[in-house]
Amino acid sequence: MIRGFRSFHPILLLLYYIFVITSFMLYQHPFFLLAGICLVLMINLILDGGEQLKKWMWMLIGMSSLILILTPLFNRRGNHILFYLFENQVTLESIIQGIMIAATLVGILATFLTFNLILTADKFLFLFARGFPQWAILIMISMRFVPLLIRRLKDIEQVQQLKGLSIKQGSVKRRAHNGMLFIQILLTSSLEESIQTADSIAARGYGLRKRSKYHPYTMKGTDWTVLTAMIVLFSLLVFGWWLGDGVLLLQPILESVWLSGREWFYFSIWLALIGIPMVTEGKEVLKWKYYLHKM
Amino acid sequence: MEILSAQNVTFSYPDATESVLDDIHFTIQEGDFVLLCGPSGSGKSTLLRLLKEEIAPHGNLGGNIYYRGSMIKEQDRFLLAKEIGMVFQDPENQIVMERVMDELLFGMENMGYTTDKMRKKVAEMVHFFGLNDLVNKKTAELSGGQKQLINLASVLLLEPKLLLLDEPTAQLDPIAAKEFIHLLERLNDEFGITILVVEHRMEELFSVANRVMLLDKGHLVVDQSPRKAAHQMYPEFQSFLPSTALCYMGISQQATKPDQIPLTVKEAKQWISTQELKQPTQGHGTIVEKSPLIELKAIDFQYTKHSTPVLYNLSFSINKGEWMALVGANGTGKTTLLKLIGGLIKPQHGTMKYNGKKVKNIDPQQIGYLPQNPRIFFLHDTLKEEYQEIARKHQKREEEVQSLLEIFQLADLLDRHPYDLSGGELQKAALVGILLGNPSILLIDEPTKGMDPSFKKEFGLLVQGLVEEGLTVIMVTHDIEFAASYATRCSMLFQGDITVTEPTKQFFQENTYYTTMMNRITRDFHTPALVTLEEAMLLSPNHIGS
Repeated sequence: MIRGFRSFHPILLLLYYIFVITSFMLYQHPFFLLAGICLVLMINLILDGGEQLKKWMWMLIGMSSLILILTPLFNRRGNHILFYLFENQVTLESIIQGIMIAATLVGILATFLTFNLILTADKFLFLFARGFPQWAILIMISMRFVPLLIRRLKDIEQVQQLKGLSIKQGSVKRRAHNGMLFIQILLTSSLEESIQTADSIAARGYGLRKRSKYHPYTMKGTDWTVLTAMIVLFSLLVFGWWLGDGVLLLQPILESVWLSGREWFYFSIWLALIGIPMVTEGKEVLKWKYYLHKM
Repeated sequence: MEILSAQNVTFSYPDATESVLDDIHFTIQEGDFVLLCGPSGSGKSTLLRLLKEEIAPHGNLGGNIYYRGSMIKEQDRFLLAKEIGMVFQDPENQIVMERVMDELLFGMENMGYTTDKMRKKVAEMVHFFGLNDLVNKKTAELSGGQKQLINLASVLLLEPKLLLLDEPTAQLDPIAAKEFIHLLERLNDEFGITILVVEHRMEELFSVANRVMLLDKGHLVVDQSPRKAAHQMYPEFQSFLPSTALCYMGISQQATKPDQIPLTVKEAKQWISTQELKQPTQGHGTIVEKSPLIELKAIDFQYTKHSTPVLYNLSFSINKGEWMALVGANGTGKTTLLKLIGGLIKPQHGTMKYNGKKVKNIDPQQIGYLPQNPRIFFLHDTLKEEYQEIARKHQKREEEVQSLLEIFQLADLLDRHPYDLSGGELQKAALVGILLGNPSILLIDEPTKGMDPSFKKEFGLLVQGLVEEGLTVIMVTHDIEFAASYATRCSMLFQGDITVTEPTKQFFQENTYYTTMMNRITRDFHTPALVTLEEAMLLSPNHIGS
């Protein structure tokens, strides 16, 4: 899906995450939060068929249930006392509070699950490189080194194993000693080899002039449209929050959980902002369905 | 037009008494393809590096180097970095970035090009090199040949006028090496890029280059057109000549004319068809059937559950006192098989017998493993410490170590750090360390990579000596000529199984494409055809004896 959400300019993607996560923190209202979570979960499903979600599901469920149980136990403020547990009052307000905290956390975490899928390492580095070009190149060079060193260490282990030195057999002390020796060879041999890398860097004129950066991403027409839409939606949301529309009042009197009047307007804005990936990705899915159908 | 010249260049490293380069004098014209050869330690790499300002070694430099008419020191460094490109020996270590695309861009970003310009140039280069499939890969996923291609492309993106290459194909398999050399030929032919290449792979380069220079102990001994150079280099530097030329020189002995020296198989065939040669004496190599030392049966191996199997239903046996060469293309599982015999990995299916008895894995004490990169064999700062440690472990006496060192002529290098040795010396040094453990099986992985030809011979003879004393050797190699000269039997791996195992001579005689130069030259004239140069020498009408 080359025109889906992932094809947007990285800056746009980063802004999306900043906006969505801020919104999750601002809009403390169960109605908003739960609807938001539903959308984020659906986005997860659309992006990778829920692979990431499956990995993290138990963690999400466990954490949210813990919060749901613990908050009413520790927070006793509120006017609507439901029942007493070990002579402590459990209030409706605290239960709602628990739901909201849990929902906020789940919403933010589920959003982060898509972060890795959408803002891949190279896109993130691209964003990072604008502010810190020197650091970015250092990171890029070291990124190659992690798998390289692991491979070399494995080679060393194998060669030394046949020489009679092993980290799998013998006393703990012996093994630790051998392990340290292996790390030592790894470091000395890698230093030796990286001299050649340094030569190759120098030979291609590094440091002779101010480096430029290749920009693989350009702002396309749709990028501008989506950017504008995102900024407008988010500004509206912040305005609504300032008016107090998306926040459920617990103190001094518990507000009705059901939405009323203007809140419905902000609710639709809320859905529109979080649902941006759904619209763009969904459009692609439909396009392909339709396209294949026609063939 | 002259592009590069050296006048009275001498060079010595700081604190060294002897100079590495002595009174070097040469001129390279624009569009030349120059092959620079010589034994290791003759100063080839030093000379090449002196021509590239950014990585020139520190030391006392005498004389002058001129690039396009003016001294190299006085030129704009930025211009030099751009116009003189350099490719190094190790494909892996030259790569800086994790992704191929970033690697291609690296040099251009250093030059401060704009995104549009870079995009255009990369597109052009990807098209020329046919790199489409590689651009979006990670550099670690590439084969050695592909890596070297990326390195070359990355340098070429800066549009160099002069390309310096320091043994660029030493670490590549023969097919990849040939492709690389053909690419250089194309760059030279189609774009007129001047090329100066240091290399040990003479078979292909002699016919491609238009000039050959030979350095020996810091002196420029030969600087001629290839044929004249070949004439001049025989017999003193004959190990640096391609076998086509050697065949000619060896057979015609006295009456050699430089302009007749064949440099390609085609030329050699044409020449040899005009010669009257003795019939080869049929040497009946009596192969005694010995009992197998190691037997593998129905071996399957795959690295992960869903990857394609590397070895599949493989059967293999080796007799005691054999030198078995395992040949085959990249990725056919040669090294995997070696590691499997060494017990470093376990097969998912199949049985292994050692000395007729079924075993899980062979006693590691019996196995010596000489890896592709012998550096990681050494744990200590000098060879001496290393050997002492090993000797203590195996309760060896000092005299035994000494006698091995004498055979291997390593006594002078005892106080050196292993990393300061040349590739060939390192192989020998590691071999001594292995032999101290008294193994009965020696596993060798690509020993001749990056070795100079004379060293190759020395190494081959040393191992041959060990085999005669009863050591069993299994060697993985791409070096056909080396296998043909020394191995007793050859096995060919294909798609995870051994397709054929035959005595070396028979193996290469029957192959049409995967065979030695000598066999290709002589296959239409003699039955059975010849395999090695030594055999060809016996046919010379001038040869005395036999």
